[in-house]
Amino acid sequence: MDKLVAQYSRPQHQNDFYSEAEQQELTEGMPPLSLKFALPPVDNRAAFLRAMTDDHANPSCPIKIAHGTTTLAFRFQGGIIVCTDSRATAGNWIASQTVKKVIPVSRLSRGEDKPSNEPTPGLLGTMAGGAADCQYWLRYLSQQCTLHEIRHKRRITVAAASKILANLTYSYKGYGLSMGTMLAGVTPQEGPALYYIDSDGTRLPGNMFCVGSGQTFAYGVLDANYKYDLTEQEALDLGRRAILAAMHRDAYSGGFINCYHVKEEGWVHHGFDDMNPIFWKTKLDRGEFSNVTSEL
Amino acid sequence: MAASKAVMRGPTIIKAEDDKTRQLNPHTLMAFSGEAGDTVQFAEFIQANIKLYSMRNDTELSPAAVSNFVRGELARSLRSRSPYTVNLLLGGLDPVTEEPSLYWVDYLASLAPVPYAAHGYAQYYCLSLLDKHHNPNISLEEGMKLLEMCTDELKRRLPIDYKGVLVKVVTKDGVKEIPFDNDRVARSA
Amino acid sequence: MTSLLDHSRGETVGYSFSQSTAAPVRQHGFYPYTDNGGSTLGITGSDFAILAGDTRSTSGYNINSRMVPKVFKIGGEDETGEGAHIILSVVGFAADGNALKERLDAVVKMYKYQHGKSMSVSACAQRLSTILYGKRFFPYYVHAILAGLDEEGKGALYSYDPVGSYEREQCRAAGAAASLIMPFLDNQVNFKNQYIPGSGEGHALEQKKAEPLPQETVKQLVRDAFTSAVERHIEVGDHLQVMIITSNGIEEVFHPLKKD
Repeated sequence: MDKLVAQYSRPQHQNDFYSEAEQQELTEGMPPLSLKFALPPVDNRAAFLRAMTDDHANPSCPIKIAHGTTTLAFRFQGGIIVCTDSRATAGNWIASQTVKKVIPVSRLSRGEDKPSNEPTPGLLGTMAGGAADCQYWLRYLSQQCTLHEIRHKRRITVAAASKILANLTYSYKGYGLSMGTMLAGVTPQEGPALYYIDSDGTRLPGNMFCVGSGQTFAYGVLDANYKYDLTEQEALDLGRRAILAAMHRDAYSGGFINCYHVKEEGWVHHGFDDMNPIFWKTKLDRGEFSNVTSEL
Repeated sequence: MAASKAVMRGPTIIKAEDDKTRQLNPHTLMAFSGEAGDTVQFAEFIQANIKLYSMRNDTELSPAAVSNFVRGELARSLRSRSPYTVNLLLGGLDPVTEEPSLYWVDYLASLAPVPYAAHGYAQYYCLSLLDKHHNPNISLEEGMKLLEMCTDELKRRLPIDYKGVLVKVVTKDGVKEIPFDNDRVARSA
Repeated sequence: MTSLLDHSRGETVGYSFSQSTAAPVRQHGFYPYTDNGGSTLGITGSDFAILAGDTRSTSGYNINSRMVPKVFKIGGEDETGEGAHIILSVVGFAADGNALKERLDAVVKMYKYQHGKSMSVSACAQRLSTILYGKRFFPYYVHAILAGLDEEGKGALYSYDPVGSYEREQCRAAGAAASLIMPFLDNQVNFKNQYIPGSGEGHALEQKKAEPLPQETVKQLVRDAFTSAVERHIEVGDHLQVMIITSNGIEEVFHPLKKD
């Protein structure tokens, strides 16, 4: 009898859709971030992935992944300035001109940017390289930071947060991740702290970093005019001007200038502004960019 | 009377006091970089031809004329069996109008009149600086300051020791070398 | 976990950062992708969102079918998608697109069964990103667009790259004719390069500000975008499938497109 029941109590096509294990996984709100990534059935996965997705090595690759470009951050007397452009490219195609390349990393500051000038506590991360890699792993980092906060009843240090990310990227070395990110934050233990982390597993503390294909142009402007004693307004203007320089000379950078100031109380957003009017204002009012004619 | 400047750098090899410029006529100077051997050969070939022209016609070519001649020669060589691989910057003063001008020429024989220019890796660092700090009425003194900013940036960020720069200036009185402090230390933030 | 971590350190790996352009193109016997062509497009308004796609399915120069819809209802109660409040369009490799749709559909349904309420569009958008990123090393060859209404009842549109980077936007075109449609949308929806006449002279001329468009205007824009794309792209044509999501539910309509 039991046998008979067993035979009829299960649907006949139980294996046609998702297995029980898979259903279990779908039921859980989020898949555990343990490394449950699907892998292609080939020996050399990195080469496979590169052949399919790396438009630089293989311009006719089928899957074009959105890439991000010029980002900068520097420490100064009043905290840390973080500025980025907003262009995402897939090959020569401009996939988007409105990418938010500054990503808040903390439970408290997640969500839409609010227009108010109230500082939001938490760290800031920047995005250069693969857009999805940065978005996903900075979100993962955000989760880890929140857990840290709950477990230890205090906010994570930038050093610790950056180490989590660097260990992560290092564990995936060779898999083809592509990210160059900066973490900025002010904590009671460290004061203002800035770290550079990339997909090779590099992790460096420092005062000033520019990341992305427009980095050299940004460095040019930044190095020449940087002083630790900059006022807040001077620092913001310098950051914006450095991004503008990169947008002007680097074809993979453009769109909007996104500016943040990180200070003791948290970070403050200082605008997401179209570069075009800023460029003409800079040229016509200050006489810069003399290689461009202003005749109509 | 303001004059334009030509900038030149020794990029990679271990000759510390190389002069990578040739004077083509009293008021035109050419700086070059590119394939070893090609550079000097091409520059001196151009130098000789410009001189020949002056002697035959008893007149000096304007910088615009010189650059177009150079571009033509480079284009001709590009279509030959062994093209010259040379990138050039041509700076000069028109002997009649006394207008300064600068021409950017690459090894594919593209020519562009520009207010400021650079070749090689240097342009990645210097062009943004020049975009910001150059203006058409810049004086020689300000120009030298700007050049200093550029070399400082190269010292900071280029992982190559280019052994300093040799600076020459073209004015209505001709070409002259200007002493330049190559031992300045540029500090990073 | 360990199986993924004990990779060989010896192999050299290039990133698009550092790879030289001269890197040889590697040949592989394993090529699990094909491009089935077609195009999709989404636009939002103040109280609605529209997703549209053509229904042609191609491989190379062959037309496999003239009726393969690319826009799907997600999280409905039955096969017809009745009761759904989110729509998804996928373009690129149709098999991957279907797999992705099925997967997201299952997730949204399970969420409802478990939590007793339907998934918000923003949550669904984030979940779709994680699903796509779950195949970061063996990607879904698709460009996805997700649409619905947000918590305030405003139209919400999210666009994705193949490995899950996403962004909320006003409008987005994807697929074969994206490069034809997107510039048109920039101009007609976000009013890019449109200036207010008489607002100033020369460089002082003022940019026209983008504002949400009425539903009728958007419907007409969608039809115009596709009729134009059909004229200039071989992989687009046959029928235009349009889904409009409002507080009253999802309305689906088909329009004919040229069949050549």
